Amino acid sequence: VEERPFRSASGEPLALRRRQHSASCRELALRRPRLQLRSLSAVTSAVWLAAYGVFVLSENSMVLSAAIFITLIGLIIYLHFVKIDQESLLVIGSLGIQLTSSYASGKESTTFIEMSRVKDVVINEAIYMQKVIYYLCILLKDPQDPQGVSEVVPLFQSSQPRLDCLMEVYKSCQEILDQRKEAPQSS
Amino acid sequence: ENSPAPLPERAIYGFALFLGSWFGFILYLIWAYVPETWLFSLGLTYWPQKYWAVALPAYLLVSVGIGYILLFGINMMSTAPLNSTNTVTDNYAKKQQQKKFQEEAIPALRDIPISEVNRMFFLPEK
Repeated sequence: VEERPFRSASGEPLALRRRQHSASCRELALRRPRLQLRSLSAVTSAVWLAAYGVFVLSENSMVLSAAIFITLIGLIIYLHFVKIDQESLLVIGSLGIQLTSSYASGKESTTFIEMSRVKDVVINEAIYMQKVIYYLCILLKDPQDPQGVSEVVPLFQSSQPRLDCLMEVYKSCQEILDQRKEAPQSS
Repeated sequence: ENSPAPLPERAIYGFALFLGSWFGFILYLIWAYVPETWLFSLGLTYWPQKYWAVALPAYLLVSVGIGYILLFGINMMSTAPLNSTNTVTDNYAKKQQQKKFQEEAIPALRDIPISEVNRMFFLPEK
């Protein structure tokens, strides 16, 4: 097990953990910083102070209860649907690739792609908003065209690691993917 | 035949446009500033409301401002999303012909597949 610190495109610290389960099975997990108490309290105080200001101006006490309600519901929705704590990639040489996103509320959403559908794992550059970013993606095979690409699956969308981290993940994945070319084509 | 050089016809077109635009401008000023009663007394009664003398320039300026933002937005909408195959290949690259490799000649220009490019950049050469 190996853990190394990296940075995301926006500057937040990430931790890449590599586990080698066996010769043809590797797990790469990118962990993001957890929700900080100081940012949570800052947002909550800002919303409640604004609501208190509105209450002083409008003399309507419903504003205060609405603000409390909104912050509670908003926090739950944020933790369950938005805040991703860890994104991991499990590459099993002969079987497939599994992508897992773990949210702050404990929810995990996984996607599995069989190895017969995977053409390659590459680092692609694309225009995103006003920048050009590097991102890792899985290219899926086109059933009609052996050389073609039918779909592109971007990885690590919420962590957005920088090129040095992407190169590490790329090299690990390529070591596993190279093995399937060496293995004899049985079926 | 399609040179941008000045020609007599172009000079005439230019002068006609110049006179026409001055005429239009003077007409607009007359319509906007001369009181309605004076125009009616001359017999010219069928004019658009003077409201439009202010409204049309205002509409025009706002459209120009919105046009900047709209163009920027259309640009962003036309950018291929991160999960589209257009970031990796396109019709011309798919249909390209492979030229034969000739010794001692510069290799023909072609679109190199992204897997090959990645291997060259990111995997250390042994």
